[in-house]
Amino acid sequence: MRLLVSWVRDFVAVTASPEEIAERLGLRGFEVASIEPAPDGVLPPWQQAAAGADAVIDFEVTANRPDCLSVIGFARELSTLYDVPLHAWPMPAGTAAAAAAPDSSLPVVDVRLDDPERCPRYAAAMASVTPTTSPRWMTARLEAAGVRPISPVVDITNYVLLELGHPMHAFDFSRLGGGQLRIRRATAGEAITTLDGVTRTLDPEMLVIADAGQAQAVAGVMGGGRSEVSSTTQVVAFESAYFQPSSVRRTSKRLQLKTEASARFERGTDVNAPVVAINRALALMEAIGAGRRGAVIDRYPVPRGPLAMTLRRARIGLILGLTVPDAEVERILRRLGLTVAAAADGWLVEVPTFRVDLLREIDLIEEVGRHYGFEKLEPSFPAMTLAAAAADVRIPRDRAIRTTLAAAGLTEAVTFGFIEGATARQFVTDADASQIVAIANPLTALFDVLRPSLVPGLLDALAHNRRHGRRDVALFEIGARFGAAAGERRGVGIAWTGAIAPHWSGSGRDVDFFDLKGVIERLCDVLHVPVQWHPTTAPYLTPGQSAAVFCGPSAIGVAGLVLPKIVDGRGAPKQDKVYVAELDLESLAAAQLANPAGESVQPLPRFPSSVRDLSFVVAERLSAESIRGTIQAAAAAAPAPLVSMVFFDRYKGKGVADDSVSLSVRLTFQAPGRTLTDVEAQQSFDMIVAALVREHGALQR
Amino acid sequence: MSLPDQASVTAQLAAFTADLAQAGSLRDAQAVRDRFLGRKNSVVASWMAMIGGAPPADKKAIGQRANELKQAIEALWSEYQARAEQNSRPAGAIDVTLPGRVPPLGRRHPLTLVRDRMEAIFTRMGFAIVEGPEVEDEWHCFDALNMPAEHPARDMQDTLYLAAPVVGESGRPDDTRTMLRTHTSSIQVRYMQAHEPPIRIVAPGRVYRRDDLDLTHTPMFSQMEGLAVGEGISLADLKGTLTAFAREMFSPSARVRFRPSFFPYTEPSAEIDISCWQCDGGGCPMCKRTGWIEIGGCGMVHPAVFEAVGYDPERYTGFAFGIGIERVTILRHRVQDIRLFFENDLRFLEQFPY
Ligand SMILES: [Zn+2]
Repeated sequence: MRLLVSWVRDFVAVTASPEEIAERLGLRGFEVASIEPAPDGVLPPWQQAAAGADAVIDFEVTANRPDCLSVIGFARELSTLYDVPLHAWPMPAGTAAAAAAPDSSLPVVDVRLDDPERCPRYAAAMASVTPTTSPRWMTARLEAAGVRPISPVVDITNYVLLELGHPMHAFDFSRLGGGQLRIRRATAGEAITTLDGVTRTLDPEMLVIADAGQAQAVAGVMGGGRSEVSSTTQVVAFESAYFQPSSVRRTSKRLQLKTEASARFERGTDVNAPVVAINRALALMEAIGAGRRGAVIDRYPVPRGPLAMTLRRARIGLILGLTVPDAEVERILRRLGLTVAAAADGWLVEVPTFRVDLLREIDLIEEVGRHYGFEKLEPSFPAMTLAAAAADVRIPRDRAIRTTLAAAGLTEAVTFGFIEGATARQFVTDADASQIVAIANPLTALFDVLRPSLVPGLLDALAHNRRHGRRDVALFEIGARFGAAAGERRGVGIAWTGAIAPHWSGSGRDVDFFDLKGVIERLCDVLHVPVQWHPTTAPYLTPGQSAAVFCGPSAIGVAGLVLPKIVDGRGAPKQDKVYVAELDLESLAAAQLANPAGESVQPLPRFPSSVRDLSFVVAERLSAESIRGTIQAAAAAAPAPLVSMVFFDRYKGKGVADDSVSLSVRLTFQAPGRTLTDVEAQQSFDMIVAALVREHGALQR
Repeated sequence: MSLPDQASVTAQLAAFTADLAQAGSLRDAQAVRDRFLGRKNSVVASWMAMIGGAPPADKKAIGQRANELKQAIEALWSEYQARAEQNSRPAGAIDVTLPGRVPPLGRRHPLTLVRDRMEAIFTRMGFAIVEGPEVEDEWHCFDALNMPAEHPARDMQDTLYLAAPVVGESGRPDDTRTMLRTHTSSIQVRYMQAHEPPIRIVAPGRVYRRDDLDLTHTPMFSQMEGLAVGEGISLADLKGTLTAFAREMFSPSARVRFRPSFFPYTEPSAEIDISCWQCDGGGCPMCKRTGWIEIGGCGMVHPAVFEAVGYDPERYTGFAFGIGIERVTILRHRVQDIRLFFENDLRFLEQFPY
């Protein structure tokens, strides 16, 4: 709202500077966007000498205060702020001052209110038009407020809009078929060409102002071109109505047409303003010699009065934590235009209809607090009556993941929860494509689906770093992924490429699968979740170089080498070896519950262990997992319990056949209650060797 | 000054040996050497200088003595150096100035660091940290927060809706999600539904708006919203709580100012201004010369919200606040462009502590 300070001085004798007004209203809820010098010629004849410096202050008006989309609204605020009275009727002509009798020669418009629900009040007035031009003070005030002057009739409706906040419309009466204004719903498919020259198709949910034949205006939104006031107009029919806010909002939204009028109607105008506004317009017509008034018609089937409510003294102190003197409470509410009467434990307050935001006691308390001043609040601290609750279990878990991964050299990324649909489809199987969740109203195609995986966003971040000269990139992210049936699930993702940092003591080497696997194993260790690894395939991973991570029978994640075409598609160099992984944290959490971390410690072993190294040659295609299984199965039947097995060497080359590999395993045997004999250990070792020979044709070295 | 003779050579050599023995470091020893052997102002140099002014008969002898002294000192010096060398590098010595094997270290995201810091502050004030889903239903995001179906904040421009509903975490058929949450107030609604007052929580998380990505806007950002509900909680308590937060987060002398504002779910509502910690309120470029910096919004929970979750608004009052984590990070770390948070450029991320 662009407020011309000299205009508001029509209503309140406030001589303070525009800067001071701006600052003080800024602390009363009206944020200041800018202060500009007032244009020339804005001082009207009745303000002979300037009552103080002038300027245009652009205030931001919050959605709850449509009454302040007007000069009079700000006048009430200033009247309260500076504790000065509000002049009841604005100059130059008030609303009735000209007092000329209505021109009885003018025709009378036939107003038919068919839909009193969507239009609770409809006032209309006739006026004859005398060719003239708007006076300078009027056009200058309009310009200061950001409105272009057009013709006296249109200027007057805009002037009243800005001054009183009430939208009006003027029809060329000669264009109204049957001399009629009918407030009705549009018929299905009914069309109207609005003032902006656009032909719009209406639906029966929309309210129109029609003549005997067709729609002449979209109610509360925009007039029609056919009955537009022009230089040849001799008689106008002014409209000043109150339309139901939700009806105007729906229509404006559906037509995608927002106007000064619709913005005010949809936030709520004063149901008791229409006749005041129309009289003001008629008085201005006569005052500037633009015409003569005719009859005023007012259709208001169910008049509404002020809203009465109780304001309790104790409640003010309770909510604000501040004692406001009674006299201040009364002064503030009265200056704002409310009626206040003493009641048992406070006041009975009547809220006039222009304050559509004051609906219950709490709203009055806000008004008292706002104008008494929040700066008077003394900071205090709420008393605690209960111990604080524990944090959500995800908080410490995610913290542990972050510190573990960062300590392993990975840096945390934050990427968007939405990605491009075409990208998303590369990261799910064809069977899962239908699970991708689309956004109904994306602002851009780049963000048109919810991410099914953290991997694409991480690859984009990795590619960004590669394009900016970074060779080694290691990133992780914790965030939500989405699926139609799975819903929202939190995961942790990793993307890693480049080299392990080179050091003078030995050459660096490229990151490989086992670096990635090691980090995940470390993470699962920190979270106390045992995992197993099995080969797998995924649409974006290289076959033979990707694994599914299992916890018991359920897959909780995937890890592997990204396909070159995917790397290329994300904008990183195609030859980059990029490793990615993604674990489902909801599954990990479930696994954590199934394997609670050691609550009670075990006593230290009191008897020595016995260590044996075993080297053997087996077929290369044999997985470590199956060898591990064979060793464990054999050890289970052996006399000495096997407590640890570590693969410490894997050798191919001289002395080993081409399709074979030499493996070395360190076996540790230990019994809880006794010292193992050499014989027991050797027996167990021999049983393991025998099993490897039997199951896999192993050759001991 | 008498001309140098054989005795002078012996005396000077004795002096050199004694001085060198006194030297505590290689540096001191070097200084001793320079005093005897240096090009200027040394003993040897001064003897050399005498040659020019000496009687012709003595010139040769002086030259010989000077040379004698020079060679003797050089011999002693190289002997000393060899000894020193041996003493300073024991067998198997390593060059400790070579770089160590540093285990790689990543960073946590700046938004995480700031969020953690905020969580720590509010935790000490008795607030529990609560999380919640990012896909929400309109009831939890709007209706329960006094934003009925016709409310302008529900317009399509602000909210991202899903093309088809997604199942909620309860898995119940009536629990479906239709939109991305626009604020973490929805977490507070869920918490109030599940708990009776008194409650004191902060709800951090990512939120979404239908916004373009530019210097100051982003379609996804993170918030921390706080909520305290109990008997007798007031706006003054909110001011005290936020003042304590600001003093720890920004500056020990920070002050809080409430500027009246409007949010559907609080009444009264206010913008939270913190006195500028650069200029302590005097006015500087960071605060655009106003002395104040806005960090979020707050207010007293609207009775309609309590009614929606089944609390008695006559018995309980409460306050709520929302602070943008990006906003705090931008202000505290002077980040120029909000997009830096989501580009994940390591040159940016690595500027923050572990
Ligand atoms: Zn400053």
